[in-house]
Amino acid sequence: MSEDQAALLSEVSEVLESVLNRKVELKPEMNIVNDLGLDSIAVMNFTMALEDKFDISIPLHDMASVVTVQDLLNTLSALRSDA
Amino acid sequence: MSILSKFSPLAERYGRMRDSGADPFSIKFDDVLSSVEAVVNGRKTVLFGTNNYLGLTFDPHSVERSVEAIRMHGTGTTGSRIANGSYKGHEELEAALADFYGRKHCMVFSTGYQANLAMISTLVGQNDHLFLDADSHASIYDASRLGHAPVVRFRHNNPDDLAKRLNRLKDQPGDKLIVVEGIYSMLGDTAPLKEFVDVKREFGAYLLVDEAHSMGVLGEKGRGLAEREGVEDDVDFVVGTFSKSLASVGGYCVSSLDGFEILRIAARPYMFTASLPPAIVASTTAALETLRAEPQRREKLTANAERFYTGLRSAGFQVGPEANPIVAVILDKVDVAVAFWKRLVDEGMYLNLALPPATPSHQAFLRSSVSAAHTFEHIDFAVELMTRVGREFGLLPDNVTPFPARPVSAERLSARAATRPALRPAADVGAGMA
Repeated sequence: MSEDQAALLSEVSEVLESVLNRKVELKPEMNIVNDLGLDSIAVMNFTMALEDKFDISIPLHDMASVVTVQDLLNTLSALRSDA
Repeated sequence: MSILSKFSPLAERYGRMRDSGADPFSIKFDDVLSSVEAVVNGRKTVLFGTNNYLGLTFDPHSVERSVEAIRMHGTGTTGSRIANGSYKGHEELEAALADFYGRKHCMVFSTGYQANLAMISTLVGQNDHLFLDADSHASIYDASRLGHAPVVRFRHNNPDDLAKRLNRLKDQPGDKLIVVEGIYSMLGDTAPLKEFVDVKREFGAYLLVDEAHSMGVLGEKGRGLAEREGVEDDVDFVVGTFSKSLASVGGYCVSSLDGFEILRIAARPYMFTASLPPAIVASTTAALETLRAEPQRREKLTANAERFYTGLRSAGFQVGPEANPIVAVILDKVDVAVAFWKRLVDEGMYLNLALPPATPSHQAFLRSSVSAAHTFEHIDFAVELMTRVGREFGLLPDNVTPFPARPVSAERLSARAATRPALRPAADVGAGMA
């Protein structure tokens, strides 16, 4: 994992902790719904918080293809380079 | 393993609730006696969970017109408007609604759910953007999944947050549609519509307001929040339902946008479902006439909502932010809410139990809806009962404002109610409010 990706992972962890109000340890291979126990509303709130953290727009259908934490990092990187 | 195995976590949660002795999802009314009274488990029960805002479900004007329509035009249309044709009644109802709102166009749908599904999924396409309030009703979320537009959520009732999200996409081509609700169905709070209109204008977006719970309730003429806030010209689409103030089932959308009629052959939830039957069309048209002719129902509803909301708040309950006919008591623990709900039903008061994920912030609500057909005696009975149970459950301080001033018991209410006919005369609702 590159330094950029590691930094992004740490930022994403902070955002998720603020949404869930609990400590989380994210690993790239984790499944966001199953391993982290997020329901559909938690995923949408997480998405909203990520939008504000990175000042980007993440339409909900972009999140539909995100399964693992690594998928999320890839999606965020792509959206940030577009912005 | 079966195709249903994936529901086992849900089944387990449901099973735990049923084991506690309460099953809010399968409550059964042995008989429905009036707009505000039913028999539950053999006991006469006051209804505080019906959305029957104007108390019109037994209104003789609607009942007679509905019966007449069945005799004249049959029990069902047996098909869709597009494939099998429209009845005169459909067109008359659409014309009446367009006239009520002062708009050029109206489309009627078979349910309120389908009205949102049709409008929202069709108005925006894959090159447009859809902006939803985070606390939107399930029908709005489902519409967003049926359509092809990218969906962006904004924080509940927060026009600045919406502006921020619109700003991020301001250089994107395509149209932008903002969807908000007049009164939100869980907490009874209203949207800050004037501020949303400012944002809509700034970004050149379209605005759709779902007035399901505010039609017949807010505004001098009962047209809803947009009327009350004086911004109807800036609301491009109003969606609503017949299953609340108009006491039947179905939904509608009104608009003055040129070209609106093309949606009849573009909106799939309009095209591929059976149209409303004559009985429903007739009773709804009659109920709209009553809504327009009897503004005193709205005044009585407002007075009842104020009395109920103030009574519960004074007792020390945590309630929603404003006094509207939807009054929610907010309880943090689901098991406490379930036990509280069961106790109220056992003592002759029915209301809704709203549980996550249907509620914001994972809270549980005891959700009531007040009706114009409630008497102050009904309201006082409910406040007194909820206060007594709340104290017993240790949820309230003891030294709060006593309410009501005089004792009202369920027995007394039942004895009185039992002497009344199930079909009340039309004047009954207005009787106590001169």
